[in-house]
This record gives sequence, structure tokens and C-alpha cells, in this order.
Amino acid sequence: MSWQDALTAMLPEHLLLAGIVVLLVQDIVAQSTRGRLAVALAATGAACAAALLLAFAGYAAAPFPGQYSVAGIPFLGKAIVLALTVPVLLIARDETGQRAFPVLLLSSLYGACLLLSADSFITLLLGLELLSLPVYPLVLLAFRRPESAEAALKYLVLGGAATATLLMGVALLYGASGSLAISGFASALGSTDTMARVAVVLVLAALFLKAAIVPFHAWAPDAYEVAAIPVTAYMATIVKAAVLLTAVRLFGTAPVMRPLADLLAILPLVSIVWGNLAAMRQQSFRRMIAYSSIAHAGYLFYALLGAGPGRFQAVAFYLLAYAPMNVLAFASLPPETNDAARDRLDNLKGLFQRAPFAALMIAVAMLSLAGIPPFPGFIGKFLIFKNVIAAGYTLYAVAGLVGSYLGIYFYLRVIQYLFMSAGERTGVGAAPGRLALLASVICLLASLLLSVFPGWVINQF
Amino acid sequence: MADAGLLNLVLYLPLAGIAVIIALPAKQDDAVRWTALAVMLVQFVLAAWLYARFDAGAEGLQFETRFPWIAAWGVYYQIGLDGYNLLLVLLTTFLGPLVVAGAFSAIQKEVKLFYAMVFALQFAMLGTFLAQDLFLFYLFWETMLIPLFFIIGIWGGERRIYATLKFVLYTAFGSILMLAAVIYLVYSLNATTGVTSFAFADLYRSELPLSVQTWLLAAFALSFAIKVPIVPLHTWLPDAHVEAPTAGSVILAGVLLKMGTYGFMKLAFPLFPDATRLFAPVFQTLAVVSILYGACLALVQTDIKKIIAYSSISHLGYVMLGLISLDLLGIQGAVVQMVSHGLVAGGLFLMVGMIYERCHTRELSAYGGLAKLLPLYSVFFALLTLAAIGLPTTSGFTGEFLVLLGAFRAAWPHYVQGVGYPLLLSAGAVAGVVLGALYMLGFAQRFLFGVAKAPHQPLIDLNLREKAILGAILVAVFALGLFPEDPLRKTELAARQYQQLVAGNRTGTRMAIHPVAPLVSPAAAPPAVATDSAGSQR
Repeated sequence: MSWQDALTAMLPEHLLLAGIVVLLVQDIVAQSTRGRLAVALAATGAACAAALLLAFAGYAAAPFPGQYSVAGIPFLGKAIVLALTVPVLLIARDETGQRAFPVLLLSSLYGACLLLSADSFITLLLGLELLSLPVYPLVLLAFRRPESAEAALKYLVLGGAATATLLMGVALLYGASGSLAISGFASALGSTDTMARVAVVLVLAALFLKAAIVPFHAWAPDAYEVAAIPVTAYMATIVKAAVLLTAVRLFGTAPVMRPLADLLAILPLVSIVWGNLAAMRQQSFRRMIAYSSIAHAGYLFYALLGAGPGRFQAVAFYLLAYAPMNVLAFASLPPETNDAARDRLDNLKGLFQRAPFAALMIAVAMLSLAGIPPFPGFIGKFLIFKNVIAAGYTLYAVAGLVGSYLGIYFYLRVIQYLFMSAGERTGVGAAPGRLALLASVICLLASLLLSVFPGWVINQF
Repeated sequence: MADAGLLNLVLYLPLAGIAVIIALPAKQDDAVRWTALAVMLVQFVLAAWLYARFDAGAEGLQFETRFPWIAAWGVYYQIGLDGYNLLLVLLTTFLGPLVVAGAFSAIQKEVKLFYAMVFALQFAMLGTFLAQDLFLFYLFWETMLIPLFFIIGIWGGERRIYATLKFVLYTAFGSILMLAAVIYLVYSLNATTGVTSFAFADLYRSELPLSVQTWLLAAFALSFAIKVPIVPLHTWLPDAHVEAPTAGSVILAGVLLKMGTYGFMKLAFPLFPDATRLFAPVFQTLAVVSILYGACLALVQTDIKKIIAYSSISHLGYVMLGLISLDLLGIQGAVVQMVSHGLVAGGLFLMVGMIYERCHTRELSAYGGLAKLLPLYSVFFALLTLAAIGLPTTSGFTGEFLVLLGAFRAAWPHYVQGVGYPLLLSAGAVAGVVLGALYMLGFAQRFLFGVAKAPHQPLIDLNLREKAILGAILVAVFALGLFPEDPLRKTELAARQYQQLVAGNRTGTRMAIHPVAPLVSPAAAPPAVATDSAGSQR
């Protein structure tokens, strides 16, 4: 281990840490909460730029051998996670005034970065906990509704259960292979040893829980509904992205054998179908997005069915297509004093008359999430199902596609509310803030890039 | 090449139109309307110029653009004109200005959004016709849904939400299964030949076992059959047509339904020829059932828009019958019938829209003796009615006559061999012509003649804008009826290629060329010109 390596390889993490320190110092010396989001934004942006630069420079090192290593793909994964955070931070100013928000967010991001470089399950566990722990208070932070406490507690308990499951799996894996290296997971995938198989199932269950896959999804709708909007966006996009990219790191490029492949296909398939079906019945926008994100987690885990480098490509592209669209929808949600009223889908009725730009943005987000071309969600879905069919799981692919068809209805229902229903209120609504607008434009440009030059983007992975 | 650039210009002009419309200041509805019309007219002129320049003797694509788009997957941006899409592109660009002009008075709310959606739809439709790469085709194919969803949902009638959701969910279901089939097709092409390509020309050369072909054909056919629509997948059509604003109905009947038949001709049948020949009797039966069932339903409707909607099902049955006959005359007849129906049904929907704007009801019983109230309107309506029946000198005659001729020529050898079913089906299709005359003439009789009545009097006859729209359609109808040689000549090579691709045997062996295709009589046997025409399509 050389100090230079530790300094360069962990540059994104160091930048985040610097941001955290500055924020803490600011907390002590300054009374006002001004400028805190700017610090968080600067730290995230700088970390993202550092990760991108190191990725394109082809830098690879293992400053802590066996525990932590970096190379092209981990850097790209970090860059994706960090880049996705930028618009979330942008919409945060108008949404939360809490001083703890930026610190907690950066801490969680630090965990995500650690997670994507983990070589051993010790580091992985550390990263996963660091990713999740700040999110529990974040859910509670806004405390705009009495249900917040309940939802946060639910999330905390289930998150704890996920950690315990993961630990149990890791212990069994250690028992089977005598090693804590994450490469043990990939080799256990092809193993016929019962203990190794149980270990794989337990680790997978923990990942499913964190990513909200049916039947481990119960916490998501509650937590998404009561959290402040940037926190919901953070959970729906960045947390999910970190967990999925970790799963890709665990699976490596090894093909998945039956019967594990069936497990890996059936639960996500159930997620797709159930998430899309349950979303149809929701009256709250964030609950609907929660069920939609359960379905999207299903598509993302589907990508693991295909073997080889296509796995990372599919997951990374899908995340880049899916996450900005979520943020775009949240950024365009018309402001309102009462949080519960704002969340009602009925509130969106006739929005096109009141705020045409916001309505168009939400429509674009919904169509992209539904996977309707020419929006990037379609290309992402195409890439995933292409890999699944290429891996020989045609029936699962067809079932997944039919499941995704079920989702079209509730996305279109939102558009119907926006454009085709008469609103209860008339007149021009309150305009979204300038930063929220900036976040929308960033998300829109990103998705435009993805749909016009998908080939170029894929080549980067 | 400059001409290829021109074709791209035709395709992307609608997007430029959207940009211009958005840039126009608010509340300038008239400026939006005239800008939209101008853009559409320019597009039509360009497309007509390309049509005139189209070389009937040249094989393969003309005015082609091709460059890698998603290189990692073998996806190319490839567009071009060939005999398959030539007339349909011309039809689409021809109807464009008429749709825009027809909506001048009917659309009064959200004018900007409306014309932006019409442009988006125009773009997606042209893209679908022009795409020569399956990925690109699917992209445009699905994109079409969105603008139409908006057009029916925002500017439609009372039950517009129900109609538009039904339309989108119906068609999206077909598309999602087609997507699985597309991926599987490309993957198996890769597995057998090592080529990863979405190009139509490469996919035509795939050699799939019959069982796989059957599944893939089922998925493609479902998607296209919903769009055509073929009975029993037609139930979305009357709702969508009745609730859509006039512009939506015209585009739906004029162009969108042809997407289905075009898909069959360009993709479903030639890609899976063995399965197609195996299931040809099924498709023939469904086509004839569509002809007769659509006509019977049209016979009993009391809503004038529904009569035309159901007549569309009947008329597109002829297209399917011509395509599946695999007889050169039948195929060419199907191509002409596609264009003819686009003109006639589009024109009739425009006329229904005009009377609806005046009287605000579509109940047939509310009208009568319009010949006395609206003499000029009645003349136009009578002429379009005659074209819909397929009277000689109109485009409807050329299409239906060739289709029936082709169907009989294809059925006769079977009859000689003792299989009478195809001949029976062809006879059924002829009965459809009689039914067609029955419902259209009955409609016209009750509508135009008898005791003069209308729910809203006095009625003002056609204004200059409406006269121009209908005049243009009638000119096209008679041009196609009186001088069909030029369009037939320009689409002949494509028809031959289609015939060769479907009739040629392709499991296991590479493109065995039959001197006489199985279903075709010797007189219609393709000459040597079609030899491996798929291979040289590039």
C-alpha cells in the first residue's frame, strides 16, 4: 500500500469527505444554513469529475489489497451514482431547509462509493451500512406527517433485517469457501454445494430487500410517500443504483446457472408484474412512483440474467435512462404548502393549463419510464431484454415484456390527468424554482443524449 | 448525395415545423395554422419531386442514407425509398396539408399543441415507412402511439379518454410481443450466420426452422393485424374513429391503418415465408371475414362516422387478400388499394367532419335530402361514395379489381387440383363488393336524398378552403383510377420481390428460386429479374 495510491484511488471518496468536513465546520461556526447545498454540490460534482477522469485515464490500483480496489468499471459506477445525485441536490433547496440534509446525503454517497470498490465482504458491509444508515434519518428528517416515524422505523427494521441476512449469507459463504473475498460469491453461483447455494440466496435476498424487490418491498411505498421529495428521489435512484451496481460487481461476468437463474428471474418478474399492477391503484404520486420503482428494480435485476460485460452495460445504461426521468418528474411536481395534498394525483389534473412546461416534463418522464420510444427508457429496456434473450431465457423475457406492458396504463393515466382532465383549480400555478428548472433541463438533456447517441454512451462502458 | 439529403429533409421537416410553432408567440393561432400548412405543403412538394425522380427500373433502395447508429448492436440509421413505401410516403405527405387545413376551424383549443402533435405523428409515420432497419422501424412504430394518444385524448369527443386508452393499450400489446420477436429474430440471425444486423436486407436472408418462424410470425402478425385491423382484433377502431377529431380520423384511416398492411408486406410475410405459406389459408379466411363482417357492420350503423370506420375494416380486408394471394396482380392491387382507401376514407372522414362542424351530430337519421340543402357538398360526397364502392375510373376500382383478379388467379390452380376453398373465399370477397355497394349507396341515399332535413338550418355550403381540400382528394382519386400505369410501374419491382421472398422456399437452403412459385399460375410467374432480389436489395 502506497500513500499515493490511497490518495489517488480514493480521490472521489476524499472529495466527499472534504465536503462533509467543511459542512460540519460550517455547522459549528455559522448559524445560517445558506451555502450548505452549494458545498454538497461542489463536493459531489468534484468527486464525479474525479471518478470520470480516473476512469478515462485508465487508472487501476488496489490501495488496500483484498479489501478495496479501483479500475475502470468501479470508477464509472461511482461517476454514475455521483452524477445522478447532482439533480437531486438541485431540487433539494426548495424542498428541505434541514441543515442535516447535505451532510447525511454526502455520508450516504461515501458509502455508495465504498460499496462499488469493495473487494471483500467486510468492505461491502461497511459500504452498504454507510449507504443505508444516513437514509433512515433522512426519511424522518422532513417529518411533515405523523406517518413519517412509522415509515422510517419500518425502513430501519427491514434494513436491519437485510444486514442480518447479508451477514448470515457471508458467514455461510465463509464456511463454504474459507474466504471473505467477494469473488467467492461468483464462484458459489456455479457451485453445487448446498451451503454455498444457501449463502448465495441469502446475499441475494439482502440485495432484493435493499432494492425493494417483491416480496421484500413493503417498506418502499411507505418510506417513499412520507419522505421529502429529494429524499424520495434519492432512494428511488441513487440507493437503487448503488445496490444494483454492487450486484453487478458481485456477479462479475460469470453466467448464472439454474436453479439460481430461476430465482433471479422469478422474483424480479413478480416485482415487475406486482409493481405495475399495484401502481395502477395508487392515488398518491410518490406511492405510485414507489411501485413503479419496484417494477424498475425488477427490470434491473433481469439484466443480471445475461452473462458477460453486457451486464454492466445494461444496468448502467438503464440507470442512466431511468434515474433522471424520476428526478425530472419530481422536479416538475407543482409546489404546494400541504405535502399530502401536493402528493395527490388529482392535484395534477389540468396541470397543462396551469403550467405547460411542468406538465410536458412530467409527461416525458412518464413516457420514458413506461419504456415508450423514442425516449431513453425504451432503449434501456431493449438492451436488458436483448441480453436476457441472448442468454437463452426467452420465456422470461417475454413474460417480463408483458409485465412491462401492464405498466403502460398507469403512466398514461398520469398524462391523461395532466392534459385531458379538467382541473379543480384554474389560473396559473406557482412556478417551480430556478434550481428545479435547472435540474429539469439537465435531466432532459441527459435523456436527449441517451436517445440520440445511445451507441456512443454504450461504448463508454 | 443531394437526393438522399432531400429524403431526410422530407422526414425531418415536421420536426422543424414543431420548432417553428413553439417559437411563435402565444395567442397567434392563425399564424400557427398557416405555418403548419406551409410546412406540410413544402413537404408534399418535396415528396412529389422524389416520386417523379424515382427510377422504376432500379432495384433496391433509392435516395438511401445509411450510417451506423448503435454500432455495438449492429443498428444502422438506414432510410430510403423503394417500391414498397413509395406510394405510402406520397400518400402521407399528400394527406398532411389536407389534415392541417381541415382542422383550421375544428380545432380551437390548444392549437399549438395540436399542430405539434400532428407534426410529431407525421414524422413518426414517415419514419416507419422509410426505415430500412428493424430497430429504427420499431422505434418509429411505437412512437406513433404517443401523438395519436394526445390527439384523440385532448381534442376528441365525449368518450375520448376511453377511446384513446383503448387504442393505445390495444396496439401496445401487439407491439410488446413484436419487440420480443424482433430481439429473438436478430439474436437467431446472429446465432446462425454470425451477423448482428437489424437491416431488413440481412434479415430477409435468415433461415429459421418452421417452428420458430411460426412463433415469430404470430407475434409480428398480431401486432400488424391489430393495426390493420383484421377481425376479430378490430374493436378499438370504431371507438378511436368515432371519438377522434376529424384530423385524427383522417390520419388514422388514411395512413395509420396502412402501417399494418405495410408491415405484413414488408416484414411479417417476407421474413417468415414458410410459416406464411403454411398459414396462408388462415390469413385468407381472416381477410375475407374482415371484408364481409366489416361490410355487414357498416350496413347497420346509425352513426355516419361508424359507417366509414367499419367500411375501412372491409376495404383493408381486400388489401390483405391481395397480399396473401401472392399473385403479382393481387399484390399490385393491394398496393393501389392501400393508397385508394387512404384517399377515399380520408376524404369521407373530412366530409363527415365538415357536416359535423355545421350540425354537431353524427346521427344518420338526423339528416336527409342534403342534395337540396348543400348541393356542392352532395356532389363531392356522391363522387367519394362512388369511389368507395369501386366504380370504374376511380382509384377504388383499380385496387379492388386487381385484388379480386389476383385472388381468383391464385385460387384457380387449387380448384383444378380439387381444393375449392380458396375459390370459395374469392367468391366471398366478390360478395363483399356487393355488400359495399349496398351500405355505401344506402348511406348516400338516406344522407343526400329524400325529404330535406338537417338538425341545424340554414346550412352554409362548402367554403373555398373545403372546396380546395376535397378537390385535391378527388383529383388524386381520379388520377389513380384513370392513370394507374405510372404508380403500378414504380411499385412493380417491389411487388415481384415480395412475391419472390414469400413464395421462395427458405428453410435450410439458401433462397431456392422456383421457376414457378407454388401459389401462382404460370402466367404470373416472376421472370428472372427477381432472382435473389433480396440479396441485392442493399
